[in-house]
Amino acid sequence: GSEAAGGEQRELLIQRLRAAVHYTTGCLCQDVAEDKGVLFSKQTVAAISEITFRQCENFARDLEMFARHAKRSTITSEDVKLLARRSNSLLKYITQKSDELASSNME
Amino acid sequence: MEEREGGFRKETVERLLRLHFRDGRTRVNGDALLLMAELLKVFVREAAARAARQAQAEDLEKVDIEHVEKVLPQLLLDFV
Repeated sequence: GSEAAGGEQRELLIQRLRAAVHYTTGCLCQDVAEDKGVLFSKQTVAAISEITFRQCENFARDLEMFARHAKRSTITSEDVKLLARRSNSLLKYITQKSDELASSNME
Repeated sequence: MEEREGGFRKETVERLLRLHFRDGRTRVNGDALLLMAELLKVFVREAAARAARQAQAEDLEKVDIEHVEKVLPQLLLDFV
């Protein structure tokens, strides 16, 4: 039935997203490898990719809650800043990027 | 801020987040997507860097899964 088809589609989407995350993770690990003069095993890249993929669930749910709390259905930069609040350096970095975006939006 | 080669695509981030929303009306605006792409990039780089430092602390040049496992708990606590 259509429910089964929906489930299959979702599974396909999840596979594609996993692959996309894995690809980008590989690129970023390559950068870090060059920076630090190390090699990452394939399993390491896969592990970091999987962890990142799973973290997105927490991020998504938190962001949705933050927006909902502010009585919005659209997630904004403010919600992302809230997400980054636990790490001072991360919050600073995200706020800086947000300011850059805001000023380029005004041009 | 353009999407850089070594980062997550806006479209990918959007789909990654939307996969887990509970409300069908929830959306993410463009700036938030770009910021999340940055956040995810930092997350991956931080995980990789910490695992690398762990391997180096053990006098190894090759970073393996156990190095990720060792740094993961603190990464999750520190990060978000």
